[in-house]
Amino acid sequence: MIKIKDLVHRYTIWENENKKSKKTVLDGISFDIPSGQFVAILGANGSGKSTLAKHLNVLLLPDEGTVWIDGKDTKDKEKLWKIRTEVGMVFQNPDNQIIGTSVEEDVAFGPENRNLPSQEIRGRVTKSLDAVGLQSKRKVSPSRLSGGQKQRVAIAGVLACMPKCLVLDEPTAMLDPKSREEVMKVVHELNQERGFTVVLITHHMDEAVGADQIYLMKEGHVVKCGSPKEIFCETELLRELKLDVPQVTELAYRLAEKGIPFKLPVLKEEDFVEQMKAVCQSEDIERGR
Amino acid sequence: MLKGEQIHFTYGAGTANEKHVLRNISFQIKEGDFIGLIGASGSGKTTLVKHMNGLLRATEGGLYFRKENVYGRKYPLSKLRKEVGLVFQYPEQQLFEKTVLKDVMYGPCNLGMTREEAEASAKESLCQVGIDGSYYHVSPLELSGGQKRSVAIAGVLAMNPSILILDEPAAGLDPYTKRQVFDLILNIQKRRNLAVVLVSHHMEDVAAYTNKVWVMHKGELVLQGNPMEVFSQTKRLKELNIGVPQITSVTEKLIEQGIHLERAAISVDDAEKMILQMWKRRIAR
Amino acid sequence: MIRDITIGQYYASESVVHRLDPRTKLFGVLVYIVILFCIRNPWWYLACFLLLLGAYRCAKVPFSYVLRGIRGISILLIFTFVFRMLCTPGEEIWKFYFLSVTWEGIQKAIRMTARIALMIVGASLLSYTTTPKSMADGLEKSLLFLEKVHVPIHDMSVIVMIAFRFIPIIIEELNTLMDAQAARGARFEEGNVFQKCRGVTTLLLPLFLSTVRRASDLAMAMEARGYTGERETSKMNPLVYSRCDRAAYLCIILVPVFYVVVEFVPKWIR
Repeated sequence: MIKIKDLVHRYTIWENENKKSKKTVLDGISFDIPSGQFVAILGANGSGKSTLAKHLNVLLLPDEGTVWIDGKDTKDKEKLWKIRTEVGMVFQNPDNQIIGTSVEEDVAFGPENRNLPSQEIRGRVTKSLDAVGLQSKRKVSPSRLSGGQKQRVAIAGVLACMPKCLVLDEPTAMLDPKSREEVMKVVHELNQERGFTVVLITHHMDEAVGADQIYLMKEGHVVKCGSPKEIFCETELLRELKLDVPQVTELAYRLAEKGIPFKLPVLKEEDFVEQMKAVCQSEDIERGR
Repeated sequence: MLKGEQIHFTYGAGTANEKHVLRNISFQIKEGDFIGLIGASGSGKTTLVKHMNGLLRATEGGLYFRKENVYGRKYPLSKLRKEVGLVFQYPEQQLFEKTVLKDVMYGPCNLGMTREEAEASAKESLCQVGIDGSYYHVSPLELSGGQKRSVAIAGVLAMNPSILILDEPAAGLDPYTKRQVFDLILNIQKRRNLAVVLVSHHMEDVAAYTNKVWVMHKGELVLQGNPMEVFSQTKRLKELNIGVPQITSVTEKLIEQGIHLERAAISVDDAEKMILQMWKRRIAR
Repeated sequence: MIRDITIGQYYASESVVHRLDPRTKLFGVLVYIVILFCIRNPWWYLACFLLLLGAYRCAKVPFSYVLRGIRGISILLIFTFVFRMLCTPGEEIWKFYFLSVTWEGIQKAIRMTARIALMIVGASLLSYTTTPKSMADGLEKSLLFLEKVHVPIHDMSVIVMIAFRFIPIIIEELNTLMDAQAARGARFEEGNVFQKCRGVTTLLLPLFLSTVRRASDLAMAMEARGYTGERETSKMNPLVYSRCDRAAYLCIILVPVFYVVVEFVPKWIR
């Protein structure tokens, strides 16, 4: 679905009126994302993850290297609008992506720009709002919605363009915990039940727990990639990259170091409880003998 | 130091859009307190906090600072604003001066300090938030996000308040920077012997840094106590639609499953200690 | 709180008037205002008022809303009335030192005040029954012919829509900014002129920066959803005239016809 090869991106920095320098934000990134996968890209602020996300939707063009979306080169100007249809993007600030004065009007913005017939637009809006669970708020003004609801409207707006892939650039950074849960639930549903390819940019480790593949970024490089189980083991590396692990993961790691036989990494609460129970029971059985 | 008695606040009192936002709130803030104010969105946390520094005035009830009546006729609000510093969410958005130093001096100058006093106070605050002298004459817009936030906090600290209120100081920051900001706040609290009120959604941080927790729900203060007391009431908090630290939830579940722990933990260190003790007891049997 | 205030108050209700195409309503208000300026005989103002009451009734908007519009400009109305009454030369009725009230003055005062009040009440009905977006759509469709002479009507309509969407947000941000600066001792309400000016300067730069940032984010989001500003776009709910609209157009045209017949035909016959 998405193929990236030797991607390099540089920004110009003006130190003063006459002196400028180039800062390399992405330094030779290469990886593939197969269709239907849930990929999480993690890294601290400044690691280049947002810049990478913008390449996937051709909001930025590579200085070197190539990005292919479904076989189409992003540098090909003719294919620009096709690519933008196939890759939908959701941004960080819920307010700054909603244009319409009502929910349904905003979701209709994408299809309207594609000059589709009114009947079809209405159909797409209904389907998209269903997918995110906001059908009942159709006529409501966006200013009356919570942060989580606004992000869901943004997702619906992207879905109405019928993309194959969703790129979400830190969608929960400005949300409270309840809204975060709401949004992540919808994202997982879209991936698991409807087969969308999802690329999630975040610095919250707990959101990456459900991903198929995680890429860790630092200063423009991918330093490690792997499944959540593989990545969550690397507590030292994560700390170095200024990332945090969920509290249960940390606790299991510490207890394992002190001799309690946990199978690391422990990613979820239920996991931890199950393992603790199992460990105690096997301990009791040992004593029983 | 700061005492609120049965404060009520209604938006648009008397109009068609009347909204009773705060009900019967009574509180006390003493020196050395590090209070975590938690509650669901819309429970009235920001409104309450705006009362504490006089931005809003209660429609009923009394507010006393160092035993003086704030709502009394002769009480100058500027006095309260000096003593109670309020840092809003995303405070870096309020920076406006040409240089970092000038911006931090804005508050002290408004309070009537002389230029020298203001400058000295500003430099001290900047030092305490980790911004060194090389940045004094730089435009605030050239700093990184985290640095801008530190400058904004310094801007409030420079006024030498006795109470510091922070509304979601770690909003939008990555985990490492978030921890730096909280450590910084704790540090400043100890150095200046301030009372701090922290409004936050992040239960893990509230549990780790505060020594008192206040829970708000629909405009009322429903729970007050130390973090241990408050977070162990998991059922009550769930009813109020308020989360608990992940570690508390996990240790609660362990207890439910029959594993003998004294109580639910509120931090990873806490949980580690308790589980290891429990394990040693098991092995020793 | 501030976010709930939209520009022009919309009163949500199910009525014939609400369902009319916005172009019909815009036409109606235009004709109405022209008539108001043509009217000389004060009795016609009463007729207009009764017509308006009828329209409000059809729109199922409560009478109190009629008065709301007037309350907002009550000071202007009083001032206009008093000024006209005192400053028009003519047959004196009452004198108080150098202030004189004339008969012509009273007539003119009534005429001007009635005209302004009726105009506001009539235009308010438009905003009570039409959402800002509808109005923008109606204006866009009516003025679309200007695109042939390269007036960017569609772009302007998008700008208006974005303005409606973001003005409440920016106002709220301004309020937060004011609170933040007030917490640092800035004065916006008390203090002398200099202090207030100084207070305002602390708001300008941050507000400007944040608005530019918003615009940049929004532009990116719009491009990501396929906005080009060049291609043709369709609408989810295109404006289509219905039977009610045709009937309404007929009624609207009948009003000036009726006025001309009643007012001028007797004179011509003589």
